[in-house]
Amino acid sequence: MSLCESIESLAMAYLDDELVSEERRELETHLVACSSCREVVDRERSDLSLVRAALVPPPAPDLFKARLAKALDEEARLAQRAQRLRPLALIGRYILPGAATVAAVAAIAVFVLVRPPATSQTGAVASEVVRQQKRSLPLEVQGASTGPWLRQHFAPVEPPQFAEPGIRLEGARLTVVAGHEAAQLKYMVSIGRETFGLTAMVIEGLRGTELTGGQAIKVGERTLYVHDADGRPAVTYVDEFGMTYVFASDRLPAQQLLELVVSSDLIGRAQQAR
Amino acid sequence: MQAAREKRLEFERQALVHTDSLFGAAYRLTRNPRDAEDLVQDALLRAYRFWDSYQQDSNCKAWLLRIVTNTFINEYQRKKRSREVLDAAAAEQESTDGVLVQASASDRQSPEKVLLERSVSDDVQRALESLPDDFRTAVVLCDVQGLSYKEIADIMATPVGTVMSRLFRGRKLLATALKDFARSEGYVRETTTTKPDEKPLDFEKYRAARGREGSR
Ligand SMILES: [Zn+2]
Repeated sequence: MSLCESIESLAMAYLDDELVSEERRELETHLVACSSCREVVDRERSDLSLVRAALVPPPAPDLFKARLAKALDEEARLAQRAQRLRPLALIGRYILPGAATVAAVAAIAVFVLVRPPATSQTGAVASEVVRQQKRSLPLEVQGASTGPWLRQHFAPVEPPQFAEPGIRLEGARLTVVAGHEAAQLKYMVSIGRETFGLTAMVIEGLRGTELTGGQAIKVGERTLYVHDADGRPAVTYVDEFGMTYVFASDRLPAQQLLELVVSSDLIGRAQQAR
Repeated sequence: MQAAREKRLEFERQALVHTDSLFGAAYRLTRNPRDAEDLVQDALLRAYRFWDSYQQDSNCKAWLLRIVTNTFINEYQRKKRSREVLDAAAAEQESTDGVLVQASASDRQSPEKVLLERSVSDDVQRALESLPDDFRTAVVLCDVQGLSYKEIADIMATPVGTVMSRLFRGRKLLATALKDFARSEGYVRETTTTKPDEKPLDFEKYRAARGREGSR
């Protein structure tokens, strides 16, 4: 294959300094002799400098840097508090049957972090999820096809699964929570003769600041938040890809809802990914 | 407590020194200063949470750029796919009303922000707009960040050959768009338009052929 035929891509690698020295020498020798290749290299060089000059970005604004430093301080402060606290006696108080779950949870250290009193924007997201959970709107998909449907219509996520035997995924619908696209996953929980609903709201693109308010719970490496939305509990978890999961139920008090979430495979996935 | 303090300082020394760089990349990827700030802040908070898993001897800037790029791809591309209709409407709105409409709708508006937005080179942002995200990401990582093909390939989880062809076509489209804008505004008079080259890159074939000659 002759050098002239590959000149366009060769010129690019040459100008990006990606050729090994032997390739570079060969090209440079060729350029002395071949004017058409020389023209290509010159044209590519001037296009490249045009593009590079146009793309020079502005520096980060000082106001932004100050805001960033504050956000990091806050993050550091919360992490530091979590470390100081002792494990809470959360384990072994299950109302739900399932010995396997208790064992799974016992393997993970659970810490409770008492936050300062909730701020003004407390749980706008959590309240919205609790409200939608109460409203039982029609599902767009039901049963076993929920997972594939979710991936096709929403995002590449798996519906969370629970270790408890009495919890069945009913289906899902697409919705919006606080201006963000979301998928509501509905579960049916059966304990003894009692049957009630449970929602796992999957929300994408939430900013950290939209989740303020609530009590931070450290589980292994991850943090969950327990919110009080007008007397109704919600539990929030953000996975390492930034996908937010908010859980709410008609019947469960905060403690039991939290235990349920901790027993789900969401936390297990995070531990395995490490 | 001491450990937390040290972690924060260490993060400042190793990661925060790249804030300008990250902002630059984010600004060209998102094409909008507000989104760029959000993207960088999200990425750096994420980096801080996972700081313990960062290998101290590896390239911190490349690690951070990977987080910025992945956050961008995860959040923005997914959103784009499911919101094509909304996006089209918004783009139309923007092109008729200009960027300042968006700025005045923002609750975080400040004089600096408006000024910044007004001084943004519209030609460059419009030219970037016309690139597919993958092409734009490759060009930004190479021409704004100065990363090597190999580093870009690692970040984008694609082979070097794919990086090269995205880079090649991305730059061609950008150069053409920039020249077209310049011409339409009378800055440039010559007419040697180069059509975007659609034939596959032959660089690897070239290297393979050379390899058979035993020269590598
Ligand atoms: Zn030639």
